[in-house]
Amino acid sequence: MKLPAFFKKETKVKKIKPVREKPAREKPEKKQEEAPPRQRKAFQLAKFTGSIFAIREDVSPFTAFLLSMIPIVLLVIIWTLVTWGPVEQRVISSIIMPSPKEFVQAIPKILTPEKRLGAGILVSLARITGGFLIATALALPLGVLMGSFSKFRAAFAPIMIVGSYIPIPTLVPLTLVWFGMEEKQKVGFLAIATFVFLLPAFVKAISDVDDVFLNTGYTLGANKWHIVSKILFPIALPEIYNSLRLGFGVGFTWIIMAEMIGAESGLGFILKNAQSRGADSSIVYLVLTVIVLIAFLIDKLWELGYRALFRYKEAR
Amino acid sequence: MAQDKQEGLTPFGKVIVFLFIVGLIGAGVYFGFLKKGGGTGGSTGPSPGKTIDMTKLNIEAPDLKGITTVQEYKYVPQEKLPAVDPKAISGYKWDKNSKIVEFPINIWIGWLPIIAANHGHKANKESIFYKKYGFQMNITLIDDPVAARNAFAAGKSHILWGTLDMMVLFAPELMKDSRTAPRIYQQIDWSNGGDGIVVRDRIKSVQDLRGKTVVYAQNSPSQYYINSLLISAGIQPSEVKHKYTNTAFEAAAAFVASTGKSDQIDAVVSWAPDIYNIPEKVKGTKILSTTADANKLIADVWAVRADFAKDHPDIIKGIVAGIFEGMDKLQNESYRVQACQWMADLYGFDVGEIKKMLQDAHSTNFAENKEFFMNANNPANFERTWKTICFVYRELGLIDAPVQFDQVMDFSVMADIEKDGTFAHQKDSYKTVFAPTSFSKVQAEAPILTQTIRINFYPNSSNIFEPQHDELGNALANTTYDPNSKSTLEKVARLAAQFEAATIAIVGHTDGSRKGQVPDEAVKKLSMARANSVKKELVEKYKFDPNKFVVEGAGWDKPFDPGDPENHAKNRRVEISVYQPEAK
Repeated sequence: MKLPAFFKKETKVKKIKPVREKPAREKPEKKQEEAPPRQRKAFQLAKFTGSIFAIREDVSPFTAFLLSMIPIVLLVIIWTLVTWGPVEQRVISSIIMPSPKEFVQAIPKILTPEKRLGAGILVSLARITGGFLIATALALPLGVLMGSFSKFRAAFAPIMIVGSYIPIPTLVPLTLVWFGMEEKQKVGFLAIATFVFLLPAFVKAISDVDDVFLNTGYTLGANKWHIVSKILFPIALPEIYNSLRLGFGVGFTWIIMAEMIGAESGLGFILKNAQSRGADSSIVYLVLTVIVLIAFLIDKLWELGYRALFRYKEAR
Repeated sequence: MAQDKQEGLTPFGKVIVFLFIVGLIGAGVYFGFLKKGGGTGGSTGPSPGKTIDMTKLNIEAPDLKGITTVQEYKYVPQEKLPAVDPKAISGYKWDKNSKIVEFPINIWIGWLPIIAANHGHKANKESIFYKKYGFQMNITLIDDPVAARNAFAAGKSHILWGTLDMMVLFAPELMKDSRTAPRIYQQIDWSNGGDGIVVRDRIKSVQDLRGKTVVYAQNSPSQYYINSLLISAGIQPSEVKHKYTNTAFEAAAAFVASTGKSDQIDAVVSWAPDIYNIPEKVKGTKILSTTADANKLIADVWAVRADFAKDHPDIIKGIVAGIFEGMDKLQNESYRVQACQWMADLYGFDVGEIKKMLQDAHSTNFAENKEFFMNANNPANFERTWKTICFVYRELGLIDAPVQFDQVMDFSVMADIEKDGTFAHQKDSYKTVFAPTSFSKVQAEAPILTQTIRINFYPNSSNIFEPQHDELGNALANTTYDPNSKSTLEKVARLAAQFEAATIAIVGHTDGSRKGQVPDEAVKKLSMARANSVKKELVEKYKFDPNKFVVEGAGWDKPFDPGDPENHAKNRRVEISVYQPEAK
């Protein structure tokens, strides 16, 4: 099948220019890396800060783990301090934030059968996954088209820009009118919220593929279909994968909004319901923690998937 | 003569008979008359062992006031309210010099008297609060109840706005910190048409909601409204499918959006103007009930932090009195227009929109507040409203251990103001005047809801407090055939009080055990007498307007369960139906 003429013209225009400019960027960074040894002799403090602020230094996994604990420990200390002592003498009221002890003590409360936490996790996960799959199914082809063909990009850019600036909460009543109160609304809402995130990310992933690869493709006689399917898409794939990983997380950030209407279960529902009926604040924080933990675990799975799929990236 | 002697009594016999008769009369007088005067309640009677000279004892104090509808609480509020921990440091933001009370409100016309008294929403020196009571007030908009509660708990605001049902939900957590325990001193308004239930045409009364879908904002007055009606109509909340939204606006949108679809929602609880717009714009929908008929169901109040109340009792009194003055000021039309403008400025609304909302709430003045806070007899007072809400929310599983009403209600300021006499000119004008009407007239429309109450009438009796009888049919003193009749009547009284503006039909029924043996007329008479005795009790004990009730005797024609017409105990009953006020 022959493609219309304007596609050909357009790709030709894009081919030639930006290739040689890149190496220039790397030099100044290397210079900075050499700087600390010179200062070392002069001043002790500089030695210390220098070791902290060493640029692109290799950090062993153990050190990385230790370092990652610092902010967490700090947060727990601050949390303990502001919720310390009898209720009447705390910096932050127990109604707004429970103490770490109250937080732990409340764990059995959300594990009661009435709270249906387990079912809530499954229901919310199903909704997030549903929304994510729909968003991906729509955003991926459109993103690849927009990233590959400038005219498509020009046509859909306004919608994409509007979409990424739209205040997502305003979609709650709108999706209610479009999809009703049942599952369709929740999945639909999450699909839109995820879609507006994924689309620009996909477009960027494709657009960021270096022209060098395209030029090589053309030299080897690739047609447009080959360029898209064998060059642009595969090269952008790790970046697309990363966008998917972040996009899945978007679902978690909006799950509370999604389950605001017509929900009878789900993590967002449990949290919102506890909040609006003025229940123990520990429940609110516990559900938040559960959401974050699950999101974190799933993110780790995505990371494992990345390593398995893109070993060549890891090796570099 | 000899025969005469044998038949007559000996003089000794005559003395015995005479003594026996005197003894019987004496016992009769003692048990039948004097014992009654001694009171029926065992615990309140005189302690055993003491002899009482009845002639010297004044059992009841002379009552110069005559019959009164008001029975004021006798306890001292401070003794019941949870004390602020003496070690605690007050946890609210306060500047001694500027003295600005932070009073957040939501979008609700009921707060107009406060804005009127404050001469606008910002802290200013033209405010009544400043001029008369020496503090300023900053009125802000915090529409989200959770955010308002958090601001209150964090001490950023001193006042928490809310409906009484919201307070029931929030109180248990707020009371964990003795400083943030809410104290309620004043009722601002009754929702009067501002809340309502819209249904599809085929739903004629609350009874028809069984098995249907209702949508409303969860944990809001809407939830209390619908579930209170369901329970009153004898429907378990679980027999209805509940759909929740975050706001009343979304509930209305969901109801409208579902029109004509397979998963059509049958009813929505929302606010004005949506409840009035939907029936106009969506075919096949109508209003089932609004707070114009259930006009003493949703009470708006404000609560203050316990630590602030403890530190600044004068300011609390100033707020209460200032708001009453605001109500006075709103009587002036040009001032009312000005106040609407101030409110519009705060909400970012057009002043016309505010004016349209004026009918949604009825501001409760001093006299009405006194009725609400201090009259223990009032069937729609704070205590009863609070208890009804607790009951409904417990049925729904929203609260485990409700806070007692006297742990949050403080009528001391109201009592103080009464003593001062400052607002004696404010009269209770919120009483519906009922024109005499008949059952057949009222019955033309379907009732909003029907409550079947089962007072277990003794066969052939219409006496609610009929005593139990022994095998020979003799009444047993100090017993009641139906020990629950008092609490059953209390239930009816609360419902009748919530629907203060509505007409109530009381229909008596008899069982059909003697069908064919006694004339229909006598049966009708008995059922009518049963309805009348319920009416009489309600009017006497709770001081309702007699014209509020219409009575009817249905005889044995309408068994409770047509499938089980022989269930006689179930059939000896009274049904209470709430009808739309005639004016509508």
